[in-house]
Amino acid sequence: MFLHIFTNRCKCLVRDKVLMFWTLMFPIVLASLFGLAFSNLSSEDKFSEINIAVVDNNEYQSNQAFQSALSAVTDAGQSSGEKGLFNVILSTHEQADELLKNNKIEGYILFDGGANLVIKESGINQTIIKTFLDDYAQIGSAITNIVRQNPTAFPSLMEDVMADKNYLKEVSPSNAEPNTTLNYYYALVAMACLFGSFWGVKEISAVQADLSPQGARVNLAPAHKLKIFGYSLCAAAVVHLFTIFILIAYLSLFLKVDFGRDLLYVLLACVVGSMMGVSMGALIGALIKKDEIVKIAVLVSVSMILSFLAGLMMVDMKYIVTHAIPVMAYINPANLITDAFYSLYYFDTYNRFFTNIGLLLGFTVVFYLIVYFVLRRQRYASL
Amino acid sequence: MVVKVNNLVKRYGDLIALDHFNLQVNEGEIFGLLGPNGSGKTTAINCILALLKYDKGTIEVFGQAMAPDAYNIKREIGIIMQNVAVFNELTVQENINYFCGLYISDKKKRASLVEEAIEFVGLNDFRKFYPRKLSGGLLRRLNIACGIAHQPKLIIMDEPTVAVDPQSRNSILEGIQKLNRQGATVIYTSHYMEEVEQICTRIAIMDRGKIIATGTNDELKSMIKAGEKITAEIFGLDSLQIQNIKNLPHISSVEYDENMLVVKSERGKNNLAIVLDYFRVHNIPYGKIYCELPTLNDVFLEITGKQLRD
Repeated sequence: MFLHIFTNRCKCLVRDKVLMFWTLMFPIVLASLFGLAFSNLSSEDKFSEINIAVVDNNEYQSNQAFQSALSAVTDAGQSSGEKGLFNVILSTHEQADELLKNNKIEGYILFDGGANLVIKESGINQTIIKTFLDDYAQIGSAITNIVRQNPTAFPSLMEDVMADKNYLKEVSPSNAEPNTTLNYYYALVAMACLFGSFWGVKEISAVQADLSPQGARVNLAPAHKLKIFGYSLCAAAVVHLFTIFILIAYLSLFLKVDFGRDLLYVLLACVVGSMMGVSMGALIGALIKKDEIVKIAVLVSVSMILSFLAGLMMVDMKYIVTHAIPVMAYINPANLITDAFYSLYYFDTYNRFFTNIGLLLGFTVVFYLIVYFVLRRQRYASL
Repeated sequence: MVVKVNNLVKRYGDLIALDHFNLQVNEGEIFGLLGPNGSGKTTAINCILALLKYDKGTIEVFGQAMAPDAYNIKREIGIIMQNVAVFNELTVQENINYFCGLYISDKKKRASLVEEAIEFVGLNDFRKFYPRKLSGGLLRRLNIACGIAHQPKLIIMDEPTVAVDPQSRNSILEGIQKLNRQGATVIYTSHYMEEVEQICTRIAIMDRGKIIATGTNDELKSMIKAGEKITAEIFGLDSLQIQNIKNLPHISSVEYDENMLVVKSERGKNNLAIVLDYFRVHNIPYGKIYCELPTLNDVFLEITGKQLRD
């Protein structure tokens, strides 16, 4: 009986093109769009050298200190393969004007009784050049004053000035780098898990005589309805889990989303998330006596709202909710799934991961208990 | 006795859907449950099948009390519901196999029963089709196959021919008679009196949740006064002649409109001959003439004062 119902229900679910689109294709399409958006976002963050010109006049040639400072930031990190801050062109005043006019440089430095910056427009690159010049002037002035007052302090002063001192110590709970972008993908997986509720609704309809004629036929069969429902639910959970695995594989292999180091726990999060989604659908399906299409509409809305609160559309939302309504973070299944994945990625311990998994399992059990009490009723008041 | 229902009462709030409903169906019958829409036929069937709660009464099937967990009884029942109950994602063959599998676990036996059911409803050429590709008539046949594939002893058909083309309807009705000949007892609900008259060996007429008459087709018709209805095409009949026809023996009413004479008679012998004799003696020429025997609708009309299809 189990195999008979399980295989036939799997066929029914897999062949339901509308639900397969929503539970499999839609998250993949959304993930691909995220991939495109975030790849552009990261390219914006990439730093490239700023093109500047320095007017090569006598004052510049005589200012060895500035040349050294400029050389230090230009060649910085080149030994380790990193880029320098500036790409410097030595030119005449006229050439520098020409380069600036043609947008070949962001600005040029002209020594004319001190370092002057000439720019065409304001921007982040111009601010960086200005900050460099200000730093140079400030440090230069400080050194001059100190040496004037205490020449013997010069060697140790140079060491202090050249060395970056950090008075804050960073204590990281993890070896992994914080990455808010990942939260979008994890919230997407959470949304896909909650879309498993569609399968739950479908299975409830298939066994309830007051919801579908098929359900009426099932109720007339010489088998316990709860058994048939249980077998059908297994089929729904397996099919949905299969779609989640495909999504995870797509995210991991094609979009290179990092799911942490422990595949077994990732799979556990998928299984629990999927069970949670299916149980939520079964609950809504059992409690709301409306058409299947109405229930699906309710579930799409609920899933999207919960995913939004978990940071699907705006990563800050997750933190806003956590701080403003902390309890919401613990009762929103989308947030729990998202957080479980992020815990796996970020934290070295599994405490937070298992808290999330435990809460999800708790909700799943409660939902199934309610469904059980609704389904165990053997006769209907009306059909 | 295959089905025995005693004093069944079912209420939907203030509405009494079944009002002390009694029913007895014997083995080997095609038992017709005839009544207008809303008379309580489907409610009665759903109560018999232990799908619906009821307020009062007892139901026995195969001599045992019917209950949702009476699996030994359910195993012997096949149901064909008013609404087509198949899965759109399964093919014709898969649907029949799925529902048959809820009754028969032996794979080999099931395969053979599925083949027989497909053959029986004539869906051999459509076994790989999905339900949405089938016409209304073929879909109804699939619905029937899903209900009877496990070869039940009692088959309950709740308006199985609603929205079916005449060809499929005839095929379904012939199929029901064939199932009955093979040994199944059939309960057939319908508001189509012609179907019930055609196939049922015994009929119960329902109205407002009650059985108002039970018997064979002839027994039901013998319960009423109405006899034949004679319709004749006659030109230029005058009022005196109409009154004379009305005064003939066993004639209950005469109507004459647009050259068509409609004579309704009471139950009795040779009513047609008496009317024809009058035409001959008074030299009244007539064109088309035909005679209709009373129908179940006349039975319903006489008992309730309203048409069966009201």
